[in-house]
Amino acid sequence: MKLIDALKIIQKSSGSSTATFKVALVCGFTPLHLQTFLQAELQQLFTDHRVEVVTGLYGDLRGTLESLRIETLDAVAIVLEWFDVDARLGIRQLGGWSPHNLESIHERAILFLRHLKQLVENVSRSTPVAVSLPTLGFPPIFSNAGWQAGEIALRLKQEVASFGVQISQMNGVKVLNQDRLDHDSVSSERFNARSEWSSGFPYQLSHASAVAKLLAMLIRNPLPKKGLITDLDNTLWNGIVGEVGVDGIHWDQDHNSAHYGFYQQMLKTLSEEGVLIAAASKNEPSSVEAAFNREDLLLTKDAISMLAVSWGSKAQAVSQILNAWNVGAESVVFVDDSSLELAEVSLAHPEVECVQFPLGDPQGIYDLAIRLRDLFGRGMISEEDRFRSQSIRSNSELRRLVAEDTEGFSDALLEQAEAELTINVSKDPNDTRAFELINKTNQFNLNGRRVTEAAWRTYLQEPDTFLLTASYKDRFGALGKIAVITGRVGDKRISVDTWVMSCRAFARRIEHQCLKAVFEKFDRDEIVFDYVSTSRNMPVAKFFSELLNDEPASPVTISRSWFDTKCPTLFHRVTERNDE
Amino acid sequence: MNDYETRLIKCFSAVFSGLSEAELQSAATTNLANWDSIATVTLIALIEEEFKVEVDMDDLERLVSFESVLGYLKSREAT
Repeated sequence: MKLIDALKIIQKSSGSSTATFKVALVCGFTPLHLQTFLQAELQQLFTDHRVEVVTGLYGDLRGTLESLRIETLDAVAIVLEWFDVDARLGIRQLGGWSPHNLESIHERAILFLRHLKQLVENVSRSTPVAVSLPTLGFPPIFSNAGWQAGEIALRLKQEVASFGVQISQMNGVKVLNQDRLDHDSVSSERFNARSEWSSGFPYQLSHASAVAKLLAMLIRNPLPKKGLITDLDNTLWNGIVGEVGVDGIHWDQDHNSAHYGFYQQMLKTLSEEGVLIAAASKNEPSSVEAAFNREDLLLTKDAISMLAVSWGSKAQAVSQILNAWNVGAESVVFVDDSSLELAEVSLAHPEVECVQFPLGDPQGIYDLAIRLRDLFGRGMISEEDRFRSQSIRSNSELRRLVAEDTEGFSDALLEQAEAELTINVSKDPNDTRAFELINKTNQFNLNGRRVTEAAWRTYLQEPDTFLLTASYKDRFGALGKIAVITGRVGDKRISVDTWVMSCRAFARRIEHQCLKAVFEKFDRDEIVFDYVSTSRNMPVAKFFSELLNDEPASPVTISRSWFDTKCPTLFHRVTERNDE
Repeated sequence: MNDYETRLIKCFSAVFSGLSEAELQSAATTNLANWDSIATVTLIALIEEEFKVEVDMDDLERLVSFESVLGYLKSREAT
């Protein structure tokens, strides 16, 4: 981004929204253009907020961190450079570069980083923190020539790396990926000595822009996509199976096709991380079946949740898969080598992210893997991620039984399901799954509202709020944590602010059991729901309609006696956990 | 209006928003309260980015108005 574009974005946004997203930029140098770029990058990501970036005192990174009014902030961005670790590692402070000083620089670095770690830990308890470790090189302080790494320099880097490892393990702290920064900002074009001496701003504009962009992504933390639909011929393997036969398709080194194997390995890995993988192919089903029976295929059949193979259109195949997965099109990626097929799918499903498979371009395939990592990247793999594919299959089995049984999940079927629901009412701000569910669920969502990490933590700290989560399993498999309710407990009634439930958990009366748990746990006679109709939350509207015998109006109020009368028979075995 | 002037107005407009073109052309440190040191550093960075020049720090003290900046850029081109 150019500086002029950043300033224009900021100018355009001023006064555009009343909701503010406030970020503290904590650095030891004059924040100057980094502040401008960060504000502009964040503004592009938080379009429904007016972004404000506040800064601290020059030369006092730790002091700025200590004096932050955390309760007013939505996020903190810390940009560390070597001269923060010790001023002698900069060019503005002339504290002496004597060889006798080097050991003391290392010792001071250890103390500085230890203190900084404590400060980061304190701040991260209330506010998400993004940290950029030193991005600039050392000045020529060490005795060795430039092509040789000096011992003290290596030790300093080791200390910073160790600091990075430790803070990356803290909840709410994310560390900027130096490899990505190296890709986006050439290291020899980062430092601006003239600007550092004249104004205390050490970055070239291009470097400031690159750092700001990555920090903004860390702060925004976009939700990962859930599913990938891939083409097969000339995408998952080299060749057209219907023409060359099962033995004529390749993905190995011997046939100059290793990049296809690499793509298969990428999809297999994503599958193991909980991403839903499906294939959409214009083919004879028997040919594809035979191909998937090959033992050397890296993306094995068990890693694929659905094969949509026919001579019908790709758009139809994608519809089938979306229907089976029951996920929003916006959380799905479609990969195909044909521009025409991509255009067709894009037209039918504009929210699906369509990605061209770079046929015959090994470098392009490597770059595609990097892009897939960005689209599906997650900080950690949760239990629910591992359950996802399994529960999709379980749902299919359950649906098959339902089809054989009645039009819905009958009492008999639910009774035989051996369902267990675990209710947890501990207010754990680090419950990333609850936070994630609230921010990605569209269908069973009380009002469609999203919440920032900082607002989430603040909300849970309020004494009258509660967080109830529900985890589910039955004989068809475990679904993991699938429902979240937050609200406030008043003297006479409970106010529910948020209620979401994963679409994988529909039709099992889990929503009834959750309400029952809220009534029983907090022992109030009435629940008031902050219901708002959205374009996507029809399942919530349907649930209230059935319960109230009427169309729901905002807010929805349900009394305990009414609920007891209307609640269908529930077959779950309920256990309660409180991890506090 | 020549190309230099148009591009310079763009730079001034990014720093001093809300001013008309005529106001930008008559902008000076003496008549713009928000032309402070931060505005100067930002303006110089924008000019360097837009005109692909490096402004000598010694020249800063004479770059105190739109007119003087325009003259400076033209003189840089001439050399």
